[in-house]
Amino acid sequence: MHHEHMKAWVVPCLILASIWVKWAVGLASYSGQGTPPMYGDYEAQRHWMELTIHLPIRQWYTYDLQYWGLDYPPLTAYVSWLCGILGSWIEPSWFALYKSRGIETPGSKVFMRFTVFAFDTLVYVPALVMFTKVWQGTRSSRRQELALAILLFQPALILIDFGHFQYNSVMLGLTLLAANFFAIERDLLGAACFVLSLGFKQMALYYAPAVGAYLLAKCLYFGPTEGPRLFVRLGLVTVASFIVLFLPFLPPFAPFSAILDPITRIFPFNRGLFEDKVANFWCASNVVLKWKYIASQGVLVKLSAALTALGFLPGVCTLLYSAYRLQAQAAARETKTEHTRPTPLLPLLPYALLTSSLSFFLFSFQVHEKTILVPLLPMTLLLSGSSPEEQTFQLGMLMNNVAVFSMWPLLKRDGLGIQYVALLVFWNRLIGYNPFSFGKRSLLQLLSITIYAACLALHVAELIVTPPAHLPDIFPVLNVLISTPVFALVWLWSIKRGVEVSWALGGLGTRSSSKAAPSAPPKKSIPFPADSRPDLGVGDGDVGVDKVQGPRSSGMRTASLGVAQGRRRKVRSGSVDFH
Amino acid sequence: MTKTEWDILIASTCLKLLLFPAYRSTDFEVHRNWLAITHSLPISKWYYDTTSEWTLDYPPFFAYFEKLLSIPAYWVDPKIVDLNNLNYGAWSVIAYQRTTVILTELVLGAAVLRFVRGAENPTMQRIISASLFLHPGFLIVDHIHFQYNGFMFGILLWSILMARNDRKLASGLLFAVLLNFKHIYLYLAPAYFVYLLRSYCLSPTFTLLPGRFLSLANAVILVFLASLGPFLLMGQLPQLLSRLFPFTRGLNHAYWAPNVWALVTAVDRILLKVASRGQLSGLSVNASGVASTSRGLVGDTVFAVLPTVKPIHTFAITVAFQTIYMGKLWTNTSYKSFVTALTLCGFTSYMFGWHVHEKAILLVLVPLSLLAAEDNAYFRTFTIASIAGVYSLFPLLFTPAETLVKIIYSVLWAFFVLKPIHRQVYQFPRGILAVIVDILERLYLAGFPLLQLFVTLFPLVAGRRSTAQESASDNASQSENGVSASVSAMEFLPLMLTSVYCAVGLVWAFVRLSVIYLVRKD
Repeated sequence: MHHEHMKAWVVPCLILASIWVKWAVGLASYSGQGTPPMYGDYEAQRHWMELTIHLPIRQWYTYDLQYWGLDYPPLTAYVSWLCGILGSWIEPSWFALYKSRGIETPGSKVFMRFTVFAFDTLVYVPALVMFTKVWQGTRSSRRQELALAILLFQPALILIDFGHFQYNSVMLGLTLLAANFFAIERDLLGAACFVLSLGFKQMALYYAPAVGAYLLAKCLYFGPTEGPRLFVRLGLVTVASFIVLFLPFLPPFAPFSAILDPITRIFPFNRGLFEDKVANFWCASNVVLKWKYIASQGVLVKLSAALTALGFLPGVCTLLYSAYRLQAQAAARETKTEHTRPTPLLPLLPYALLTSSLSFFLFSFQVHEKTILVPLLPMTLLLSGSSPEEQTFQLGMLMNNVAVFSMWPLLKRDGLGIQYVALLVFWNRLIGYNPFSFGKRSLLQLLSITIYAACLALHVAELIVTPPAHLPDIFPVLNVLISTPVFALVWLWSIKRGVEVSWALGGLGTRSSSKAAPSAPPKKSIPFPADSRPDLGVGDGDVGVDKVQGPRSSGMRTASLGVAQGRRRKVRSGSVDFH
Repeated sequence: MTKTEWDILIASTCLKLLLFPAYRSTDFEVHRNWLAITHSLPISKWYYDTTSEWTLDYPPFFAYFEKLLSIPAYWVDPKIVDLNNLNYGAWSVIAYQRTTVILTELVLGAAVLRFVRGAENPTMQRIISASLFLHPGFLIVDHIHFQYNGFMFGILLWSILMARNDRKLASGLLFAVLLNFKHIYLYLAPAYFVYLLRSYCLSPTFTLLPGRFLSLANAVILVFLASLGPFLLMGQLPQLLSRLFPFTRGLNHAYWAPNVWALVTAVDRILLKVASRGQLSGLSVNASGVASTSRGLVGDTVFAVLPTVKPIHTFAITVAFQTIYMGKLWTNTSYKSFVTALTLCGFTSYMFGWHVHEKAILLVLVPLSLLAAEDNAYFRTFTIASIAGVYSLFPLLFTPAETLVKIIYSVLWAFFVLKPIHRQVYQFPRGILAVIVDILERLYLAGFPLLQLFVTLFPLVAGRRSTAQESASDNASQSENGVSASVSAMEFLPLMLTSVYCAVGLVWAFVRLSVIYLVRKD
């Protein structure tokens, strides 16, 4: 496939193929199909299109809240309005007020699927392509294409967006765009994108501590003169973006109290600690400790908030502390007039995003099983940049597969069993990942095999055994108990990696700081957090490099490799030696 | 199997699994009904049962095949094989029947794999084999529309492979087996007959080799006995044959298969338009032909202006053309000549046959694929026939949800198959005529995206206009007629255009291949 004359066509063909797969998944049933009176997420999204085109904006967040009242931020509402207008132009009955509730005609289904598909193609796919170009620009084009394939065919997102029916790819795509813009030093544009992401779906809040900490760290790193300037500009852009988003709910377009309608809808604190069965700390520990009886709702909310904050704090701290140290070094060397571009802090961003979103997933309030998609994005980004013998790769595959597994009860309910199997097999085969293949195994690989065996065993058991009457939820609960440890492990790993990378940046400890600080990387190349050796030494000879050399050198490698591309020999002959 | 071959098998199987919930035609219920018939009834009643309108009309081997499939079907869900459970659409039956298509298609996979082993040019053969296994025709007709063509073309390819490997007895035997699965392959029978007679039963000096002749004849007779024997004993042969060959259908299938008759019908329609405006007073208009056009596309076609075509005419033309190719095959019995003659046999039947179904284009595309990498002339023919032929299958899937599925898959397939072969065999056209032909062909191929654009957008625009008309007119009784006429025109025009446009390409590919075959000396 990869001959000289076809090179230019690989990326378009990959995108086309991913479109085919997404659309083919969309042939299946969606959430709540044929289940009146409430149906499911599909009907919720369709209902929002219906109500936004028929009602004045002030009523959007107040209209008949019992039947799928709008509870997403305004950008979703505007997008729904756009889709509703378009759909009504084609066929008015699809979005007739009240009369169209629960409509399930083939035509309306195709239209709804098409809207997901259109936004995915317009936002998420370009963001992925840009990511491979910007973050992995120093890798060979073949590696970049493989990375793109890994990202494009990620089964979890396809199953939820195109099978179950949601628009997560828009929120994820906007956040990814923000990260891409940060990487090319367009921080203001990035901040605006992230606000849009927040304005599309409040789940993007899971990323907010990391993004906020990154930008703050950057201001710190820029020193006492440039830093505050950047800070003020970032603040202005962020506030302005929010104001634009909420403009119809603010004076002079509406009384001041109007802003409360969307806000109370977006943040529902009056629901339970968790819904359904979700693979997070609360649901998993609930097997032993019945939280409902131990503490009141108010206490639980505070407890979960505190735990979440504690969870993302390491990621935030590493960013800020690294920035502080780097700034101090720069000041000591008196080179503050020219800052290295891109920011040396950038490699920390994916790990911080992962730490922060996973801590929200594991410890926060009101988490859905689908929300695993949020931490899955940074992990898959890291995975796409790694090579098969690395820990990042092993863990990334494990987390991806287990994440899909953790959504099995939901997918089963939606009638997506075949799609679940097909996409998982397809994606793993595409990457060439086979955890059961023979060979020398690290501890992580043994763990992976154990987890996969448990997943398979549970599936087999579910096929054969009917759950006993007094334990109707035994399978979902077992699913949670298998999945949660994996997510917790990834969370701990992300903290560890963050610290390692930060250490390699020279951010920790004064002893090695002058030596380890990257000395003015060449402009226009982006350090990539995971392995970025394009051609040399990939796939042979360096299995278990992390273990052998310890965190110090692997962190260094992590931080500097993308940068070192141009001067590989020098770096290799110097302090970093991984062969 | 190499890693790449496993990759293709696993990936394609996963993609086919995704198509389980896709649109399925009445053929799905046809096959479910046959499962029920063969499972619930004694063999003596198989060809008599009329519980469902989809009576058993395939030869006995296929009935035995369905009997075999009905056994696990009963374990999966007994309701699948319930004769009176018409139009059963539960998840169990969909998953089961779709799975049997995927599994039986492995016959095709095995056959094309064997083609690679011992091929003259393994690199090209690998591409061709992959292209056959992943052919959009099979995806559309088998995995969405629902049939078992992959399985049966697997047998055909296996038979052709035997011919290539000079095991002609096995080749003939397999073809006889194939005929007893589906009698549409009779279209290819003349080529097999001439080829086996000339190259297997006769010596180079035209003396009969009795040993070979008898073994082949016995093998074929045995196959037919195994198939038809039980029905012969029960005296049901006439009934069986009347099921297999119903001569009560029209010249064109519901949607005109893009062959010569589609072009003739189109010309007739144009002439009728001209005649009804009184510009050509010399034309006599057949009243029933006018009625036939207004009925749109369903049922029998009677020409309004041109002379009416009868089955005997189509038969005579088909035989006449086939005779020419068979003459060439008689003088040249090389493997390549055989495959070309086989393709042309199928092509002739498709071009001139009575009530040809658009799915029959696979009879042309599959053997033609084997010749794709021979040289530039063959490749060009293959390109035009494949693109026009696959496109002509698109109307089978008329539901909007499958539109992207069929288009994107076909585009990707075309890219990955045509591009590498093109690189291998391309020659710059020599001479002014060749250049003009080359340009025209390119223009023709470039027209397909435009055609697709029209087919997609026309119903949207026309639909809006007709609803606008409906709301504008106050008189309900008047508007009803007008709307129904415009609705049928709305469905009809894109179909007719597709048919005529594909017919142009396929007729040209037919002429091209005929000329190549008859003129070349090799």
